Amino acid sequence: MSFNDGKWTSESIHSLIDTEQGKIDPRIYTDQELYELELERVFGRSWLLLGHESHVPKKGDYLTTYMGEDPVVMVRQRDGSIKVFHNQCRHRGMRICRADCGNAKAFTCTYHGWAYDTAGKLVNVPFEEEAFPSDFKKEDWGPLQARVEIYKGLVFANWDPEAPDLLTYLSDATPYMDTMLDRSEAGTEVIGTMQKWVIPCNWKFAAEQFAGDMYHAATTSHLAAVVAGLPEDQDLSVFQPHMKGHQFLSEWGGHGCGFYLDTARGSVRVGPLVDKYYSEGPAFERAKERLESKMPYHRMGASHMTIFPNCSFLPYGMNTVRTWHPKGPNEIEVWAFVIVDKDAPQEIKDELARQNVRTFSAGGVYEQDDGENWVEIQNALRGYKSKTAPLAMQMGLNVQGKNNPEFPGQTSYVFSEDVARGFYSHWVRMMSESSWDTLRPEPAKATTLSE
Amino acid sequence: MEVAELVKPFKWADKSPSLELQHEIEQFYYKEAQLLDHSEFEAWLELMEKDIHYWMPIRMNRLGREMSQEYTAIGQGGHYDDTYETMRGRIRARVSGVNWAENPVSRTRHLISNVIINETEEPNTYEVVSSFIVYRNRSENQADIFPGERRDVLRRSEGGLGFKIARRTILIDQSTLLSNNLSVFF
Repeated sequence: MSFNDGKWTSESIHSLIDTEQGKIDPRIYTDQELYELELERVFGRSWLLLGHESHVPKKGDYLTTYMGEDPVVMVRQRDGSIKVFHNQCRHRGMRICRADCGNAKAFTCTYHGWAYDTAGKLVNVPFEEEAFPSDFKKEDWGPLQARVEIYKGLVFANWDPEAPDLLTYLSDATPYMDTMLDRSEAGTEVIGTMQKWVIPCNWKFAAEQFAGDMYHAATTSHLAAVVAGLPEDQDLSVFQPHMKGHQFLSEWGGHGCGFYLDTARGSVRVGPLVDKYYSEGPAFERAKERLESKMPYHRMGASHMTIFPNCSFLPYGMNTVRTWHPKGPNEIEVWAFVIVDKDAPQEIKDELARQNVRTFSAGGVYEQDDGENWVEIQNALRGYKSKTAPLAMQMGLNVQGKNNPEFPGQTSYVFSEDVARGFYSHWVRMMSESSWDTLRPEPAKATTLSE
Repeated sequence: MEVAELVKPFKWADKSPSLELQHEIEQFYYKEAQLLDHSEFEAWLELMEKDIHYWMPIRMNRLGREMSQEYTAIGQGGHYDDTYETMRGRIRARVSGVNWAENPVSRTRHLISNVIINETEEPNTYEVVSSFIVYRNRSENQADIFPGERRDVLRRSEGGLGFKIARRTILIDQSTLLSNNLSVFF
């Protein structure tokens, strides 16, 4: 297979991101044709986060969601596995399941009554005998099935049969994911349901910020949230940005993470009760023991992470996990949920859920200001000059000696755009390379990418 | 208030409250709305009891037979799930000057109607349901509309506006919130 080049040739896509000079062509956030290519080449070929296993605990439990802009159903099967299929009837294209979640024995299309079992197999076509040709085969007309793999509770799906398996795709990012997902042998579970809201901005602003931008949190973006979390007798004058930490860029795949080092964990963000649970006591000691072969977990403070392209989360008790669903170049829907150590005490689960609503949700004291910033960027990008003047991505460029060998993989200073450059480099590769023969992670390529 | 209860229509008392009580509570709501629409957030916070639960559950698209699970339950998060303390934090943030989602400030209009009052067994304590439409206009051309229903427990109080809010459950008429954030209060 090779890509059919229209306006955007491989060469012109490469010119959008200049990692040597640290420049972004703003059209990556606005161009409709680039967006259509993203649906095909990024969202059609990457592992995409759909939810958590515990969204669908019992057989027949389902959750409807999206892969790119394609609606899908994620269903727990009789054998305990999870299937994901296109939420679209192949007859006239109607959405098969129209609820957000629930439990079903079968799905029946409301248009002409084609019925599917929970595995997505077409099992009944009304008037099949009377009206359809004798060689009509129901097995040819089931909805498209996606590949499904689970990493420590998180359910990912991929349309592309050629794509590498999920573990290969996650590259060397898994130890950082484990700081949220593998603190306890019991694993994690979801609290509540998916919270959804609409932000008129490009999906990459959100994904890149969660991948590699501690800078905004340490400067101006979230000052109001700090005020909201301070004890009554303190004000913003006590706020000092923590200057110590690292960011991690995966060897392959454009995944990124940033974290503070050697800091109080921050009751401002999660409240004193959850802060304590995450920084001392038996649950913390156990997590430290489980993770210490991979990294000095006890030295990590607040952190943020993105698995390319649009799965992001915040470990350390913030524990929001979300998919930034693209809805055109100028809009996203945030679908966010909260997870917690499955064996955490009930009072921790309750408090963590409440703190999450207070901080990282549509009305959260942190998140509401992100919504403002991203919208205003997207508004400004309507202009001709706005679209033609490159944006700066030079922080940490050619700054050497910030790698911390105590942590796995390639790390740099916490205030850096190494991760942003890696994120967009991978975006360029997905957008311009048609075959997994070249895209597939190989030791030689991985080395080049992380330089 | 448990989940299934939210789905059901508010239970009406057999006997209507007095015209005077109806008038008093409606006037209380109009004044409360005016505080919100004129950025008097600290005064608005004063209307809340210290044991308030200020809660907006998430609302889902459910098929008919599962409609009793339309809302997230208590303890399962929501769009708001606040105590007096966390509301106080939110108000501190709001008036800090660095809450960019509301600085420059939004123009809001809280319209409150359909007020139905039930007297309770506790003296001077009322269960009240009302409908709202909150309009927000901000920046150059952003406009959001948040419609829904509030289920309150009000207690009569000395001074102030005559009542305090002991409990507020907000049922918003959206499953996906159709705005870039929820930096408005209800």
